[in-house]
Amino acid sequence: MSGATTISRRRQNAARYVRIWAGILLAAIFLFPVFWMILSSFKLPRDIFTTPPVLFFDPTLETYISYIQRADISKRMINTVIVATGSGLLSIIAGSMAGYALARVRIKGAATFGVLILMSRGVPPIALAVPMFLVARKLGLTDLHITLILAYCTFLIPYVMWLMRGFFVGLPKELEESAMLDGCSRFGAFFKVIAPISIPGILSTLIFSIILAWEELLFALVLTNRNASTIPVAIAGIAGDTVTGANWGALTAVGTMTVIPVVIFALLVQKWLIKGLADGATKG
Amino acid sequence: MVVPADTIKKGNEGVGPSRPRGYSNLADFASRWSFMMPAIIILMAVLAYPIFYTIQISFANLDLASFTATEWVGWENYQAILMDRGFKNSMKVTGIYLAWAMPIQMILGFGIAYLINAEWKGRAIVRALFLIPMVVAPVVAGGIWRMMLDPLWGLVNYLLGLIGMGNPDWLGNSTLAMATIIVIDTWRWTPFVVLIATAALMALPREVFEAADIDGANWWTKLWSITLPLLAPIIAATFVVRWLGAVKMFDIALASTSGGPGDATNVVNLYIYEQAFRSLRFAESAAMAVIVLVLTMILTGIFLLGTRKLENMY
Repeated sequence: MSGATTISRRRQNAARYVRIWAGILLAAIFLFPVFWMILSSFKLPRDIFTTPPVLFFDPTLETYISYIQRADISKRMINTVIVATGSGLLSIIAGSMAGYALARVRIKGAATFGVLILMSRGVPPIALAVPMFLVARKLGLTDLHITLILAYCTFLIPYVMWLMRGFFVGLPKELEESAMLDGCSRFGAFFKVIAPISIPGILSTLIFSIILAWEELLFALVLTNRNASTIPVAIAGIAGDTVTGANWGALTAVGTMTVIPVVIFALLVQKWLIKGLADGATKG
Repeated sequence: MVVPADTIKKGNEGVGPSRPRGYSNLADFASRWSFMMPAIIILMAVLAYPIFYTIQISFANLDLASFTATEWVGWENYQAILMDRGFKNSMKVTGIYLAWAMPIQMILGFGIAYLINAEWKGRAIVRALFLIPMVVAPVVAGGIWRMMLDPLWGLVNYLLGLIGMGNPDWLGNSTLAMATIIVIDTWRWTPFVVLIATAALMALPREVFEAADIDGANWWTKLWSITLPLLAPIIAATFVVRWLGAVKMFDIALASTSGGPGDATNVVNLYIYEQAFRSLRFAESAAMAVIVLVLTMILTGIFLLGTRKLENMY
């Protein structure tokens, strides 16, 4: 009897090691393309276009320097920051308030709006991009930051609303009840009591919204051309350049510059992000 | 919007006893609705209005000089796109992509999560690392993979050559190009499924498994009669979330294959984009967008209902 249990325990231990090493190996495989991109961004063209591909070489910042100096990349970087934070902030305010309304403030008819807004997550962006382009063109609003910011609200507000609704539902009701007994208005209760204690949830949702806006391509392609153009548009241009051929140095350098800030942000709030993803899936 | 509610309240103090109730009801109503208002106003302007405008253009001729709809043409645009071979092809291509990518990602995601589900010190780090591919911008993902899959200088073909697998032309062959965008999409999205699945596995009640162990159930029985039924609602919900993302497939195809070779990977969003902004066929592309919109909404509705059913079953 005791022999059998030690064998099964040993087997369990072996299985545990297999699981752990499988996890590490799979994480490494999934990370490899990012690693390869970062590595290649420090290569000179002669180290990129070579067989066999090299792992060790003289690292250089040349690609970065020559690319950052080009005005359109740094300007696009600034545009991307403006548009991503702008749309993130606007959506977090409008989306949190709506999420709170759906979670706590009983309003007749609001649930219908909630469902409609939720349904809008299924709307293909191309069905919005065509009319937005036409309207923006007619009103002279193309190539402005604010146009892109508003366009990003179409997918960010529904997303924020749903995540924050789930968050507010989990808060104890006594919080705003006591605040309102103390003479706070409904707004006061929300902004002075609920919002402050929800900072972690609000912040991680905000960061995730900024990431989503940061990476958006379709609206940026359609609604901007020079003034407000963003980094993803530049990358699409470099990647799809069939005339001058593959400019992989530029692709990897700009790609790395795009990905690194997002990865840092994501890792900073990873605990909340994973929880938000799981909640977003199970409750949305 | 705070101001009117407050001023109405202040006004109450001076008036007679019968009217305040009506006023404060109104104030109450306004203060409740004003929470929804910012979202509703913005979404009306940038979401609802464009959708109606798309529908309007899809039934009209568009004047390219003024970018306005000129005359009502009824179903003409719809008839034109039903004859359009490129549109039919793009629907087919999107269908193939969805039919492969979604099951692969779901199975791989839940499978990996099940495989690596062990408690140890580095678990949180591994989970954090899985977060990285999914925050890589899709257009960057398409670009990196395009580089790695290059037949001449790419790393993948070099490695395949080492093990004698030849030199496949990933982006030049229709079938392989489709496989390429499925692989890129799977690379980017499987970690997302893994993270959700891991969270779900960790939340499973431990007592049930301990009871099953005492009853002498083997791992296969445990997987089929405990784990999977308990996970069913989450699997369904993850499927819906993944579906909502996958139908929007655009960036990866644009950056890696640009729809090619020929039209082999020209997914519907990319096709409509090209028709609208390269060929300037705005009215027809509006009609295509409406068809895609209606189909997506119907399928999303069906999937959501299915999810609800599953949730109620278990």
